[in-house]
Amino acid sequence: MTDLDPVIHAAARLRISATLASLEEGDRITFPRLQELLDMTAGNLSTHLRKLEDAEYVVVEKTHKGRTPVTYVALTRRGRRAFEDYTDTLRSLLGDNA
Amino acid sequence: MTTPHNDSDASRDAADDEPIDPAAALALIQQQNADVARQQLSGIPWILGIWGAAWGLGFLALWSGYEGGNPWLSLPLSVAGTIFGVLLVSAIVTSAVLGVRISRGVRGASGFSGAVYGFAWWAGSIAVYVLGIAFAREGASAELLSLYYPAAYGLVAGLLYFMGAALWRSIDQLVLGAIIIASSIVAPFFGAPTNNLVMALLGGGSFLVAGLVMHLNLRRGRRA
Repeated sequence: MTDLDPVIHAAARLRISATLASLEEGDRITFPRLQELLDMTAGNLSTHLRKLEDAEYVVVEKTHKGRTPVTYVALTRRGRRAFEDYTDTLRSLLGDNA
Repeated sequence: MTTPHNDSDASRDAADDEPIDPAAALALIQQQNADVARQQLSGIPWILGIWGAAWGLGFLALWSGYEGGNPWLSLPLSVAGTIFGVLLVSAIVTSAVLGVRISRGVRGASGFSGAVYGFAWWAGSIAVYVLGIAFAREGASAELLSLYYPAAYGLVAGLLYFMGAALWRSIDQLVLGAIIIASSIVAPFFGAPTNNLVMALLGGGSFLVAGLVMHLNLRRGRRA
């Protein structure tokens, strides 16, 4: 149980996962707002979201609000669990039994 | 992916993908959580500060409007009432605007909780007002009503802070709610118009202290 999930274990995806995990379960966030909270470029964010999406950790939903396209992002149940496992592993690696 | 990047973006992308040691990873999670909390919650100390000013100045104005109130300043009751009303409405409007900004860009399950919470403020405030009208029709004196309104409204506000504490797991709101309820039920025992002074100092003061504490917590990067 000391292997860190490589999908999450990269600075950008770690920050994305942490931010999405801070939302209430069942909530989703718009792409621009997520970008703002992370202070990342749109291109960089979509690159990493793609990787998280490929692992089925994140669901990206494109929809329309009136005529404007809106993109919502959320962790999947699998992604939330993976992030929790990841932080548990980190803590056990660091010898924190809490 | 072939999204066009300038050089700095490209180098940042590369750095983003490098493996990090566990301690740095945990620190990064904590840092990001603190950043998100600060960005989302930075409006709340302002909301509390605005309510503190509205209660503090508003109730001081009312205290100055009644005979036997403020010994240093006396206002006509109509002026005092207008000041109180304007301050309260401004506080409601600004906190609604700031409150909407907090959850912008987020949709889903928590939207229902937020909507119920917002509705409870309106329902509670209107209920206090309508009950007062009923008491007045049954012959409650102006003095009795001047005790009833701040106390009943304070009770509703305090309970709503309890509800906020439950919804957002916020100890700050729990403490604030308890102090607001205590001020509201203690104030009438001082009689009119001194009850207004008690509301200004205890009620308004605790909003200001709560706003300051939360501001400092957010600056220290700790989730309040």
